[in-house]
This record gives sequence, structure tokens and C-alpha cells, in this order.
Amino acid sequence: MNSRFFLLLLAAAGLVVAFAPFPVQSIAPQERTFRIEARQFAYSPSEFKVNPGDTVTIQLVSADVVHGLYVDGYNISVEADPGQTASLTFIADKPGSFRFRCNVTCGAMHPFMIGRLTVGTNSWLFRSIGLAVLGLIGFFPFSFHKERMLVEKR
Amino acid sequence: MKRSELLTRILITVAVLGAVGTPLFLWARTPLIHAKVAEDGGWSPDVIRANAGEPLTLHLTSDDVVHGFAVGQMDMQGVDVLPGKVADITLTFDKPGIYTFYCTRWCGLNHWRMRGTIEVSGSNVDTQPVPAPLYVSLGLDIDAPHDAPILPSQKPSAIRGQKFSTNLPILQSPDFYRSHSPYQLFDELTSTSFTESQRWDVVAYVWQSNATPESLANGQRLYAQNCAACHGENGAGNGVFADDLAASGESSMQTMTGSEDMMMQTPVDFTDPARMLGASPALLQGKILRGGMGTGMPMWGSIFTEEQIWDLVAYLYSFQFNYQGAVR
Repeated sequence: MNSRFFLLLLAAAGLVVAFAPFPVQSIAPQERTFRIEARQFAYSPSEFKVNPGDTVTIQLVSADVVHGLYVDGYNISVEADPGQTASLTFIADKPGSFRFRCNVTCGAMHPFMIGRLTVGTNSWLFRSIGLAVLGLIGFFPFSFHKERMLVEKR
Repeated sequence: MKRSELLTRILITVAVLGAVGTPLFLWARTPLIHAKVAEDGGWSPDVIRANAGEPLTLHLTSDDVVHGFAVGQMDMQGVDVLPGKVADITLTFDKPGIYTFYCTRWCGLNHWRMRGTIEVSGSNVDTQPVPAPLYVSLGLDIDAPHDAPILPSQKPSAIRGQKFSTNLPILQSPDFYRSHSPYQLFDELTSTSFTESQRWDVVAYVWQSNATPESLANGQRLYAQNCAACHGENGAGNGVFADDLAASGESSMQTMTGSEDMMMQTPVDFTDPARMLGASPALLQGKILRGGMGTGMPMWGSIFTEEQIWDLVAYLYSFQFNYQGAVR
């Protein structure tokens, strides 16, 4: 096989894996409410999943000190005192997996108080797996190819 | 040594001392007040001295979590004390005396133990005695059981009660309201021709007519900030700290019910009609003023103004009655 053609094929496949629109099964957006209890130094639950387009309401309940919740990527936050449940409503219009973290200093382990919001399928996970596989496929034939060339030169 | 060299040495010494000493002197004049959770020592220092009439500037910082600073009895907005930041506040005390400052942001189970005092000295000492709170002048025993023996079959409604209350002006005076429990008024209405549920509706109307919408709103705000963490946001005694209080056991939940009789207590459920309808505003004021004597219930007398306590009391009854255009 022509190695240049193979390389081109591989690059095209890579572009498709990286940028092709994901097959989305259309789910009617709904309203979802999550009650998240925050304690030093964890959220419970710390992971939740929604579908793209959902209207998400987070009710943050703090059970010891003042805690916050900041969603990366969406750049929105809420702060709750114990006894004063705070709520945050937003439309999950960006698909992907986002970290949320406490944004009110709540003690020594405050930087490790994190959780995850997943909106729809985590397409970048699958895309990066696909790209890694393509890379492997590309690597092996080329390494054999080079070896063969070296043998032929001798 | 030459004279010029000596002069230079002196100049350099003075300059160095000044460069180091001046900030040190300024820093020592206005010390930083550190806030830590009560388990780690609370405020340090926890006694501050000041002179009446002179502005007092404080620099506050937190060593662990978010705290707040406010002085009791002053109806002031708390200042947030954040870890890694310095908050400045300037206070002026008109009268000499001992003021209580306290933490305004919940920082754990023992948040309310985080208090300190400001000792304000001055010449114009107020010798006027403070009037005794109403529960004292009424001779109420605020630790005695006070359950109402008869309970309404449905939530009393002030809207319905208004229709029956046109000829009962004397009952609507603040003095009557403050010194009587809802059940006592219900009992006094026995002589009238009303049915039981109508009598409860009249009680609800009388209670509402003694609470302005502003005082209910203020009471609700104070409740959310100071009470809801233990007594629950809906008043049911199931706040986020209720379980922790029970788990911490004797140290914060024991109370004296007699000479040696001890019992465990949980935060009071304000939605319980027996307890609330049998309590007069004066009794509730006393409980808030004095606190729970060995329970986790703080003593609020040095924190809230009298007005604020009456607002809170008015709000507490709204868990029992349906009010017109209610806050909830």
C-alpha cells in the first residue's frame, strides 16, 4: 500500500472522529431538580447527569459551614449558608462533562471539594478514545514499514 | 572615625529602624482580629477595649472558613470575614458598657459559641436600670411545660377570623397579645356563641393584627439567618444541624427539667400546635432572650434588640396560623 495514501486516509479518519457531529437521539428537554448537600469537604451527590437543553435547578444545602458551588464552563455559581438553602437555575445548553467546585473557602481541604456535571454524552471522551486508537493503528504499520526499509537497505 | 562617617552611620541606623519600626508600630496599634471556628478558639482576641464616642477601627480576618462579624443590640449588617482577606470596620459607641460581638455566618455546630465582648469605657455612665423583660414581670416559668390541652382540627385562618372579630377591640391590644397564649384567648372566648373552629379563627386574626407585614418579613429574615440551621427552614425542628446535635449528645442537648432530672432535647418543632398554641409571646421572648440553659439553644438577649425578638416571635406563630397575604 502506498504509505502516503495511507497517511492521508488516517488523517481524514482522524478529522472525522474529532469533528463529525455525534449521533444525537433527540430527547425532549425537561426540568430537573437536584438537591446537593455540601459538607466539609464533599458534595452529596457529587455527580449528576442531565440531557442537553434541560432546565436544571440545583438546590444547594450546606450542612456545616458556608459552601459554594461553581460550575466550570457555565461560569455560574451559588452560595449557601447552613439553614438557608440556595438554588441555582440554568439551561444546560453546552454538552460535555464539567467540573463543579466549591468557590467559598471552607477549610483546609477546600480545593478538593469537587463534583461533576455531565450534560448529554461525554462526546470528547469517545472522540479521544477514537483518536488514540487511530494513532495506534498508524503507529504500528509505519514502524514495520521503517524496519522493512532498513532491512532492504542492508 | 571621621565625623562624616559617624553621621552616615547614625543616619543609616535611624533610616533602617524607621523603615522597620514604623510599619511595626502601625501594625501593633491596630491589631488583626483572627476568627476561627469555636472548637479552635473562636475570636482572638475576644475582648476589645474602646472609648465611648471615639471611632474604633477593627481589622478582621479568618483562619479557616467564612465567618462574619457584627455587634449585638445594634441592628447592624454583619461584615463577612473571609479567610485570606482582611475586612475593615469602623464602629462608634455612644454609650459606655459591655457589648457582645458575634459570628454572623454559620461556621459549624458551635457557631453560636463564637462570641466576644467590646468593653467601652467612658464618663457618661447610664445609671438607668434596664426594664425587666416581660416574662419576668409576668412571673412566667419559661421551663415549665406549656402544652395547649385543646387543639384546632384545622389550621386556624385569620381571613375567616376577621369576620367574627368586629366587636372584640380589647383583645387586639399589644399588651393582651404579648401576655396571653393562643390557647388562653381560645379559652376566654368560651363565653361567646362561636364554635370551636370559629374561636381558633378569631385567635388567628388577633395574632395577625398584632404582626405587621414588615415585622413578619423581618422575623422571617432573622429566622433564616439564625434559627433555620437547627429548627429547620420550615420550622419542623429538622434543620441541617439537628442530627449533628443529637450525635454530639450530652454536651449540647441536655437540659434540666427538674432538680436532677435530665433529658435529651431536640430542636423545638414550631409546627407542633400543642407547644406553640400553649405559648404566649412573652414566654417565647423569654426563651429566645435567655436561651436553652445547657441545650444547644443560644442566649440571644445580648444579640437581638427587643424589636427583633418580637418580630421573630410574630414570625414563629405564622407556622400555626394562615395569615392574609402571608409571607409564606
